[in-house]
Amino acid sequence: MSPAAEIEDRAAQWLMRREEADWSDAEQAALDAWLDASMAHKAAYWRLEHHWRRADKLRALGGGTVEPLETRRERPRRIWWTAIAASLLAVAGAGAAIYGFGPEKPQAIADARFTTPVGGHRIVPLSDGSRIEMNTATLVRTAMTGENREVWLDTGEAYFEVAHRAGQPFIVHAGSRTVTVLGTKFSVRRDGEKVTVSVLEGRVRVDDASAQTVPAAIITAGDIAIARGPSTLLAARSEERVESALAWRNGMLTFDQSTLAEAATEFNRYNRKRIEIADPEAADIRIGGTFRASGVDDFVALLRDAYGLKVEADAAVIRISS
Amino acid sequence: MIDSKTLNAWFCQEVLPLERALTAFIRRNWRVADEVVDIRQEIYERVLSGASNGLPAHAPSFVYTLARNHLINSAKRARIVSFDLVADLESVDRDVDMLAADRHLTARDELRRAQEGLARLSPRCQEVVRLRKLEGLSTREAAERLGVGKDAVERQLVMGMRALVDFMAGGTGKIVWQNRQRARKTRGEP
Repeated sequence: MSPAAEIEDRAAQWLMRREEADWSDAEQAALDAWLDASMAHKAAYWRLEHHWRRADKLRALGGGTVEPLETRRERPRRIWWTAIAASLLAVAGAGAAIYGFGPEKPQAIADARFTTPVGGHRIVPLSDGSRIEMNTATLVRTAMTGENREVWLDTGEAYFEVAHRAGQPFIVHAGSRTVTVLGTKFSVRRDGEKVTVSVLEGRVRVDDASAQTVPAAIITAGDIAIARGPSTLLAARSEERVESALAWRNGMLTFDQSTLAEAATEFNRYNRKRIEIADPEAADIRIGGTFRASGVDDFVALLRDAYGLKVEADAAVIRISS
Repeated sequence: MIDSKTLNAWFCQEVLPLERALTAFIRRNWRVADEVVDIRQEIYERVLSGASNGLPAHAPSFVYTLARNHLINSAKRARIVSFDLVADLESVDRDVDMLAADRHLTARDELRRAQEGLARLSPRCQEVVRLRKLEGLSTREAAERLGVGKDAVERQLVMGMRALVDFMAGGTGKIVWQNRQRARKTRGEP
């Protein structure tokens, strides 16, 4: 365990012991001594104690029965959603009456188009409670109707946090692939024909829209699927890799044994000033680490200082050679 | 010298609500994701040491300054120098609003957060935390109820407590256990 985890573990044990009925004066003295030994002990213990006490509010749910949490959580929420849906329908109905439209198919709640520029980052809340977090140079269209929730990722990359709605799948169209989910967190990225789906939580289904005969791929949390043309590659299960694939949400790029050419392509997605690698030798250098997506200059300085590469730059292009 | 009780109250009211923003700040400026929690703990330690000589007037700027200095010093010590983190941090906007707090959580939000955090625990942890929080059972009683050893209940409760607190504090509610297993293996424990 790391030093902080070690201390926190110890603090949690103290806190647990202290809540017991047979807590003694001798133990209190030992705890006081432990707390006085270091500010780090105090910080860990006070933090746990504070939040753990806040969690006492759980008792407001009424102790006694140990009912599964899910049902308790879902019930009020569903009532709430029904109420909203009902009021939306009422509004739609009122509009129809005023403008003299006859009774029609369910009204579209939102039909919209969202874009980000190069280097942009934008969070779009949807009417159903889901969120789309858009990465650099991305175009997304949404159609949220009463029955369907559909999104088209035309270019770029987006991270989705989908609100669970029973019987209403959330569908993302990305080129030749459709991704169907019920409630989960995942990202979809398009590079021309190639579609990459990384799942952080839950499960999604990836279909090849152009070939009905190919079985769908089901991917679960920690998986990355890379689809190109008719084939879909399922990368080995790794939560760490999914987390690095999503590092852009913190404005960071993470490389693990990527070639310099791949790293340059990544940086070029976020910045107007482009990196060009002049020769294959330099292009094959392996890079690892986490970098600020907007920090092209820092990245280039590293290449020059640490790797001894030559750097020539003008306003639009940075040329790197060995 | 500030007494322990006052310091504790100040820490809970002024510093802990900054945790989510502080964690994001460290994550943005530190390259090794596994070390973020350790660094945060070290910053808290420095915050308490600093504040024990006199409570600062404005907690967010105090925490931010200490966090920034600590990151710079750690980077210098770790010699992650070729990538110019230090210069980056020194030129970074001194935008203290970055540490704007989630302090306006209502009692209802807190309950929702606690419920969500509980739902994220593994089934065994969840059961033990529920027996503790909802039914107020001691570890011995919980062990009897579940038909397992007291040690097992204590272990699950410590895990559940840490993960739930992490989530309540604005984190992901995930505690990394692999490290512990790895550490045990290298120490030759079961």
